[in-house]
Amino acid sequence: MRKTRVCNLVDIPSNGMKAYELEGNPKILVVNSGERYYAYQAQCPHQEVCLDEGIYDGETLTCHQHLWQWDITNGHALGLAEAPLQSFPLIVENDVIFVLQPSALEAAELLSGISVDAREKLEQVVRREEYPDGHTLYEVGDPADDIYILESGRVEFFIGRDNQITGAGFVLHKGEIFGWGALLNDHPRRLAKAACLENSVVLRLNGQETLKIFESEPLSGYTVMRKLSTLISRYLTFAS
Amino acid sequence: MKMKININARNRAHHFEATERERILYSGLSQGVALPYECGSGTCGTCKARLVYGDVTDNWPEAPGRKFLKTSDEYLLCQCTARSDAGFEVESFVQTMEGNTYIPASTTGRIHVTKRLTSDVMFVRIEVDHALKFDAGQFMMVEVPGVTGFRAWSMVNYQHPAKMLDFVIKKKANGGISQWLFDHERTGTELKLFGPLGRATFYPGLAQDLICIAGGSGIAGMMSILAHVEQSAYFSRHTIKVFFGLRTMEDAFFLEELSQCCSNCGTNLIVTIALSDAEVPASAPIAYPNLIFRQGLVHEIARDDMQGHYQNVRAYLAGPPPLIDASIRMLLQGKLSTANICYDKFS
Repeated sequence: MRKTRVCNLVDIPSNGMKAYELEGNPKILVVNSGERYYAYQAQCPHQEVCLDEGIYDGETLTCHQHLWQWDITNGHALGLAEAPLQSFPLIVENDVIFVLQPSALEAAELLSGISVDAREKLEQVVRREEYPDGHTLYEVGDPADDIYILESGRVEFFIGRDNQITGAGFVLHKGEIFGWGALLNDHPRRLAKAACLENSVVLRLNGQETLKIFESEPLSGYTVMRKLSTLISRYLTFAS
Repeated sequence: MKMKININARNRAHHFEATERERILYSGLSQGVALPYECGSGTCGTCKARLVYGDVTDNWPEAPGRKFLKTSDEYLLCQCTARSDAGFEVESFVQTMEGNTYIPASTTGRIHVTKRLTSDVMFVRIEVDHALKFDAGQFMMVEVPGVTGFRAWSMVNYQHPAKMLDFVIKKKANGGISQWLFDHERTGTELKLFGPLGRATFYPGLAQDLICIAGGSGIAGMMSILAHVEQSAYFSRHTIKVFFGLRTMEDAFFLEELSQCCSNCGTNLIVTIALSDAEVPASAPIAYPNLIFRQGLVHEIARDDMQGHYQNVRAYLAGPPPLIDASIRMLLQGKLSTANICYDKFS
């Protein structure tokens, strides 16, 4: 976690919000709700709209473009919204607001909601690796050993074999997980090829090691596997 | 010649064909690929995509929607055509269209009749070569000879299917289409059309009360919804409130039609005319006893009228962007859920 000063407490209107550009980071939205303050990504996860132009009533934040909404206490998606807001831990010291910026592992949506102990165990086994533009992370038929979390860059997927290969979608956002076949039973081989579209940094977690950690932290494991099943069913729905 | 277009979306890939004359967005939509779009005419930026390979022509390099593009390899699919096979990345999830949507198609038609309704509003009836089905509230993209680019026009009428499509067009200062339409008699002119498009639609299965807030020519889609409400006897089970914002009585049109609709639908349809820039003349309620007249901003009049009456309501909004924004804020303050606020953004 990196600690960055954002603004003074008095800069944020009561039950209001303000967006701040922090050096080398995406814009951050600081929001007041009664006694409490929250920090979220300032850009709508849908399209490139800054949420400080949105509508906020002290409880619910609404993007004025397409009416995506979030619960301000936790960033959870409400109504039409298809994605939550990434939240940043916020601390107030001497009437100054700071945010803590998480690593990709902490930002990963699939791993949100796990216990501190489980996260620490994952931090011990995670490998952070950098790959150049064009690098193939895995091919169809390769053993499904690791799950990947994208920290920066872009990764593209291809399905099919040999000269029958076609694009299958792509990931963009920090914290996005792919290669989750490594967490499934009886799923030892890759079904798609994954390649870097630009220089990319990924975090790799060995599937078997991760499952062992979940066995020792069953509540966290249950939370993650439930999210994973939701994720898979979403892709199935869209692919059908 | 047919080009092969590959769209690499967030969830999966889609493939379709396009000729060098077809807008890539329109080709995809007409082949059942639910590509993201809103205005279809170069302003909203929703259809942006990153070109991965192939040669394309940008038919409108000055399109206002290009301000949403960040890099030189990004394009608005509504404005580009393919010169070779091409591949794009689209950031969002893209599905194939569901069975209950009318798949849009290119068609041709001719202007059957035009009629000036006010100093700056024209009624246009287009006869299409093949009758088409659409949902009440949808729009067509229309291109006229000599003026490059498609414009989005909302249907006023509702028939199923329709051989005649009715529209109202607002005259805009320096608008290419406005000059084309308002300066000369255009009856008989052949036109290109693409559609139907738009998601702010009404269908009788909704089983909700309706509130329609429209400004100026935004009333078009509401007229189509009212026609469907009337034909399906929806008014016998649900209340419908229409708030129609105009500057002055001189800018008013469709009052006769709205009044007739009130007669046909009975007390469950309430139409309020809001005049923003002038007092209500004493003659107005006498001439149209079925309609209510108020002075003020249309969304404020709607707010005062609707207070606390948002249970099982669906709202339709159309008109200038400031009116839509103000209406959204007003409806959210009234605790109407976002799923029940329907509009298509054109800018």
